[in-house]
Amino acid sequence: MGINGRSGPSLVDRGTERLTPLLDRVAIHSPRRRVIGYVVAIAATITLTAILVPVRGDLTPLSKGFGFLVVVVAAAAVGGLGPGIVASVFGFLQFNYFFLPPYDTFIIGRSEYVVVLFVFLGLSILISVLLARASSRADAAESREQELRTLQTLSAELVSAVPGPETYASVLSRLLEVFGFSAGSLWTQDPMTHDLIERVAVGGPSGELSPARDARTDAPPERLPLSVGGRVLGLFLLRRERLPLTPAESRVMRSFCDQFALVLERDRLLLAATEAEAYRQTEEVRKSLLAAVSHDLRSPLAAIKASVTDLLADDTTRTPEQTRDSLASIDGETDRLITLVSNLLDASRIEAGVLKARVHAVDLAEVIPAAVDRVRHRWPELRIRVTVAGDSSIVKADPVFLDRVLSNLLDNAAQACREGDRHDIELESRRSDGSVTVRVIDHGAGVPDATREQLFYPFYQVRERHPRLGTGLGLAIAKGFLSLMDGEIWIEDTPGGGATLAFSLPAVVAVHAS
Amino acid sequence: MRKPRVLVVDDEEQIRRAVGRALTVRDFDVSEARDGEEAVSVASTAQPNLVVLDLNLPGIDGLEVTRQLRRRSGVPILVLSVREDESDKVAALDLGADDYLTKPFGIEELMARVRALLRRAEGQDGPRPLRYRADGLVIDLGTRRVERAGEEVRLTRTEWSLLEALSEHPGKLLTHRWLLERVWGPGYVGDVDVLRVFISQLRRKLEVDPARPAIIATDPGVGYRWVLQAENDPEAVAT
Repeated sequence: MGINGRSGPSLVDRGTERLTPLLDRVAIHSPRRRVIGYVVAIAATITLTAILVPVRGDLTPLSKGFGFLVVVVAAAAVGGLGPGIVASVFGFLQFNYFFLPPYDTFIIGRSEYVVVLFVFLGLSILISVLLARASSRADAAESREQELRTLQTLSAELVSAVPGPETYASVLSRLLEVFGFSAGSLWTQDPMTHDLIERVAVGGPSGELSPARDARTDAPPERLPLSVGGRVLGLFLLRRERLPLTPAESRVMRSFCDQFALVLERDRLLLAATEAEAYRQTEEVRKSLLAAVSHDLRSPLAAIKASVTDLLADDTTRTPEQTRDSLASIDGETDRLITLVSNLLDASRIEAGVLKARVHAVDLAEVIPAAVDRVRHRWPELRIRVTVAGDSSIVKADPVFLDRVLSNLLDNAAQACREGDRHDIELESRRSDGSVTVRVIDHGAGVPDATREQLFYPFYQVRERHPRLGTGLGLAIAKGFLSLMDGEIWIEDTPGGGATLAFSLPAVVAVHAS
Repeated sequence: MRKPRVLVVDDEEQIRRAVGRALTVRDFDVSEARDGEEAVSVASTAQPNLVVLDLNLPGIDGLEVTRQLRRRSGVPILVLSVREDESDKVAALDLGADDYLTKPFGIEELMARVRALLRRAEGQDGPRPLRYRADGLVIDLGTRRVERAGEEVRLTRTEWSLLEALSEHPGKLLTHRWLLERVWGPGYVGDVDVLRVFISQLRRKLEVDPARPAIIATDPGVGYRWVLQAENDPEAVAT
């Protein structure tokens, strides 16, 4: 019944505990109304007598009796059965004494008056009983309604709220307010360890109310277990300082606790479902990544293997041209593999955070041609135009990282060009304030707005014919290297179609000899 | 006689070119297709004698291409797959593809499969093999008699049906599903264990060393292949 704190913090042995009625009395009328009822019974009877005595000769005994019946009805309605009976008996005596001839004596003159008198008594007692019963029902209904209203208010708050400690706190403080407690806390049980953990404390510092003891009052707190299907999820602790709960309150409290337990359970399941979903998504990304990496590694390998075994087979004669063609294709696919493997290594080293930039003044005019030459060698059909403004050539960078950034941006542009029909790439650098911006401009298909966000994520690739996850590492690596050198990277539209990838690096203030 | 024409379908240009080059220098005519739609349309215009088909294609995939090609013709289909597509490979074979190769592959291996498929396709109208003979074993499908070292080997009815199903398609990879449906009926299609038991019984009765089968080869996870050379088809080569 929740009033003792003798058992320890384990909840298991208290799982089926219920709040039982604390006081087994049924309050129909409030004591105040009962007193008023008695007052009405006595005072109205006397008043009525006082009014009627002067005119008692003009009235028939029956009509005077009706007057007393009205008093009985009023007394019973206000104060219930007791005042009704008092009014009946008191009225009976007064009626007899003052109004049944001969007056001012209890002697009754005519036998028919005896009938009238006892009919009056019987009638008024009957009315009192009926009225008291009806009004006690009305009272019970009203108090039941009150209970339901309280419960409904609390449950509505509980159900409509989002899961989490803030909600629990607001619901708990509402509960304390409704039931007149000054402090309380919510404890939940860890499903694995079965330890009780305080989730929320209201009306006092956290830890003040513990399952065994209330540190402020040094008494065990009121414990309300929260359980679903016999499984204990937690408990409410309430500071014991108000009168014991009435049976009605305790019923409401019990129902509320049951509901709260269901909400706790719901929140727990929701959390589990969210975690499972997140895990599933990670798992999916991991799988498609693995597929993409293995596809991108295997394709060049398959082409190389086919060409090499073809050249090794001596069952055929081929022209020198055909041989050259095979070798060129092996060379190209080997380059592809080398790029991919170094990108994978770069990506994992950036990811692992083991790279450190060795930044010093680097002349773009020296670094750019080397990167451009490599791309020209790989894709001779591309036309690459380079413009480096005179004041924009010296930047603070790690030359090795900068070379990788340029290579990856040029590769990206070359890829875009090969998928489109234009074979022009422009590379330009400009000085603005304290930094130098380098732009690699292609005239390919461009990048849709929706996918720009993901462009610099590892393994994302915009492919014209293949909208699938590929080993699109180049831009992610460029971004990684640039952020190690205090640089930035972004994408712009190329006027007339295509994408422009731009990056900026801190400029070195050149001391010109001129 | 015109050169046999091979349609090479792969979305990877380098693979298409490598395979195409290898076929060209070996005196094949080569057509190429980059995706499923192109494969289906080129197959109907170029009338290839054989299709080398990558399963992992953009747009309509290799399985769908197999289905569409099979609706119109019996052109031999050699499926190229990567290890991740194991189940697709089996599905393609069930749909009527004739054989498969896993990437990366050597060109000799590809050529051997291509030649075997073309030869089988040519021989389709000829008489079925009737007698097999190897290492003291004689299998006569006409008289339904098997002899080993001069002694008759007794086969149950199911074993006979399985033997016939396998030996009617020498060299061809027959999937579990195909064999189960053919020998046991459509209700047994998922019951690979039954097939495994009968194959091993058959091997014990036919093979000299059942642990290293020379008559019925296993393609793990896919099916079985009759690799014994037929007596009345001296050219046939086990693949």
